[in-house]
Amino acid sequence: MTRPSPTDGGSSGPTGGETAGDGRIKVGVGELAVATAGETLATSGLGSCVAVALVDGDAGVRGLLHAMLPSGGDRTAAAARPAKYVDTGVDALLGELDDAGADPRRIEARVAGGAEMLDLTDAVGPRNVERVAEVLDAAGVPIVASDVGDDVGRTVRLRSNGRLVVRAADGFERSI
Amino acid sequence: MRVDVRALGACNRLAEQGARRAADALSDLTGTDLAVEVTGASVASGQDLAEAFAGRESIGVSVGLRGGLDGEAVLAFDAVNADALLSLLPGGGAMERSAVTEVGNIALGGFLDGWADYLGTAIDMSPPRYFEADGAAVLPDGALAGDGVFLFESRLDATTTDLDFSIYMLPDSGPFRDLIVGRTAPAAASGDAPASAANGGAASTAVPYESLSTFSSLAKEGSANAADNIAMMTGLETSVDVSRLRFVPLADVPAEVGTDPHAGTVFELQGEPSGYLAILFEESSAATVADAMLPMDPDEPLGDMAENALCELGNVMTSGFIDGWANVLGTSISHSPPEFVHDIGAATVSPLVAQLSEHQDYGFVIDAAIRTEGVRARCDVYALPDERELARALDRLSDA
Repeated sequence: MTRPSPTDGGSSGPTGGETAGDGRIKVGVGELAVATAGETLATSGLGSCVAVALVDGDAGVRGLLHAMLPSGGDRTAAAARPAKYVDTGVDALLGELDDAGADPRRIEARVAGGAEMLDLTDAVGPRNVERVAEVLDAAGVPIVASDVGDDVGRTVRLRSNGRLVVRAADGFERSI
Repeated sequence: MRVDVRALGACNRLAEQGARRAADALSDLTGTDLAVEVTGASVASGQDLAEAFAGRESIGVSVGLRGGLDGEAVLAFDAVNADALLSLLPGGGAMERSAVTEVGNIALGGFLDGWADYLGTAIDMSPPRYFEADGAAVLPDGALAGDGVFLFESRLDATTTDLDFSIYMLPDSGPFRDLIVGRTAPAAASGDAPASAANGGAASTAVPYESLSTFSSLAKEGSANAADNIAMMTGLETSVDVSRLRFVPLADVPAEVGTDPHAGTVFELQGEPSGYLAILFEESSAATVADAMLPMDPDEPLGDMAENALCELGNVMTSGFIDGWANVLGTSISHSPPEFVHDIGAATVSPLVAQLSEHQDYGFVIDAAIRTEGVRARCDVYALPDERELARALDRLSDA
């Protein structure tokens, strides 16, 4: 099952109120969340997983996806937890952004993660990154910045200004 | 009687929903955001539980269950977290007993509502009973008896303060067993005859009910062997702290490992079952252990020399682990050469979880914390076997 998006919880939505405005919304593995106030969306421990941040700056609507695998295909698991997969997750996130008032033509993407952490597993990181590019291209969403690949774990925070702050395992931090 | 291990996945999902309701109820009461971090279902023997809880002090609330589910549910906080909890509650510390009882009652009510909905029947809760308990006394009555019990644990995390707690539910095994079997695919539930499960399809994850208790032996034998091998190699005295096998959503595993930097080794397992094994040390522990193994001080704390030492250590631990499994299961399992990892803990396990997630949503995770005496170091072992292959091996075991 999918965890309810934090936007459904009332604390982070458009009616979220003052205190929530500076809050932090944690996005777990195989989850997505949308923010419409000043909250920071954060996801940690990205290895081969990929984080996709979608932002409509004019509408002030942002969303973050933490996907584990490239394609949900026709698996029932994809219907149950769309954010687990890049393709179904990006679709679901675009849908939620639309519901929150974003204009699909203004949405820009930033992508991080997709590292090749291990030789043992078959390049799931690069496959995730490739799938993100395909799915966003098909949806007409441009990727304006990315920090992907290599063999390093990352933690990301999507700020209210739409920038994605990427912190690598060695502590090196950059804003894209 | 056969049980589909996937039915345990359904139970886990239910426990997760229940925990979420408990979190919501508590959030309302305390005005603090609470999130469900991890929910796990475990099968453990009384002895394992007694060992796992040794030295822990808890406060909490227990309720008896009647109706759709018979048994007992317990909500427990580590005593060290009690102050953090009390500071959140209306009335504060002065209200300790009644406040904790109230919290427990509300949270357990929320938790059990989820189960009642699923079962389509009411579950009656007896009035809450407050307790303070040492060690395994926190667990529901009866958890220490018998040789295989189900426990559902949920950890809730408060985003603004450090507070987590667990909900343990020990359904009387008879009715609970019926519940699991009742929810199992007909092919699995009706197969009283020990038919081979190697025929694929719905029954391929079905195992005889009795063999569920074998799970705890897997965790135990594996980690005890691994600890022995460390002792042999390093001359350090070692002990196994916690060793349990749980069914968890694979997507929760990275969060469980956490975002602190870890170093260690990862292995691929081949045989019955195949899968992955990760041995992870927190950075300082990794450096300490490597240092203890090396004849001279390394040039840098986690450089090439330390890497070699940790790979060698990982090799003997993994051999010990899978020897233990092979003994229990009567199968043969081999492992790949070690791959050294040094990164954010969650990131190092994410590719393993992703790989297994192609075919399964839930995983059997073996937690074993191995501690070395004299040198302060501990590591966590995450064993992630392929569920179908594990079920097949367990099934064959009971046929023998």
